[in-house]
Amino acid sequence: MKTVKDMTQLEIAAFICSHLKQHAIEVVLSGGALTSYYSNNKYVSKDVDLIDVYSVSRRKLISAMQEIGFVEKNRYFHHPDSEYIVEFPPGPLTVGDEIVKETYQVKFSTGFLTVMSPTDCVKNRLAAYYHWGDKPALAQAILVAKQRKVNIEEIEKWSHKEGKPKEFQVFKNMLS
Amino acid sequence: MLKPLLGSEAREKVLIFLLARERSYPSEIASFFEMSISQIQSQLDILENGGVLVSKLVGRTRMYEFNPQYAFLNELKALLEKALSFYPNAIQESLKMNRSRPRRRNKPL
Repeated sequence: MKTVKDMTQLEIAAFICSHLKQHAIEVVLSGGALTSYYSNNKYVSKDVDLIDVYSVSRRKLISAMQEIGFVEKNRYFHHPDSEYIVEFPPGPLTVGDEIVKETYQVKFSTGFLTVMSPTDCVKNRLAAYYHWGDKPALAQAILVAKQRKVNIEEIEKWSHKEGKPKEFQVFKNMLS
Repeated sequence: MLKPLLGSEAREKVLIFLLARERSYPSEIASFFEMSISQIQSQLDILENGGVLVSKLVGRTRMYEFNPQYAFLNELKALLEKALSFYPNAIQESLKMNRSRPRRRNKPL
């Protein structure tokens, strides 16, 4: 198998995801790295956000990550041979106020990576735009929606539940 | 009041303060409850790491507020609202009386 030094962002995510699974720790890719995956790397970030679905004890997480050479500093994990920074935002796995029900396993040479659907990825990015007015997150949502098949009706319903119908229109207008 | 649930009086104070004022910084919360800044800061750190709060720098001050994406936010706020209603009236009033109008720099009063 590749060394950490030669792994891409998603290969590192898959490597960590598979390793943690052996310790009964469930993580799901989120944030910028998920956007990279669904935008065919048109969006690039150095972060790897893996949602710790069941919020395991920090000690258990640190110990498991140390086994594969990652060291924690200020809640971020670094590997001496990698430029990527790994973070484990606490679960549950949600997009806005909604629980994410479906996830998918994607196979890489370094392991299996658990990801949300493209539709949930768009919701995840839109949630940052809706709640914090984050324009880069809106741009990422548009990027994924243009690259992948997403359920716009479902996103619209979710946006209404989040109380953001006007903001959804901004997103929809920018898509067309 | 919620100490048996939250495990810390300082944590309760932080959450109650943010419920009432929406956003704040460590020294303001510490000063209001006459607690040490380090006590308050450590609770803010725990709550931020747990995804309950988010923070951002405003000038040189780190401001904290509830994370709008926290999964249990509505339920937590309902619990805190109830707890706040049992606080002494004087504290409830002071929490609500937040000066938001500008104050000129170096004004003596």
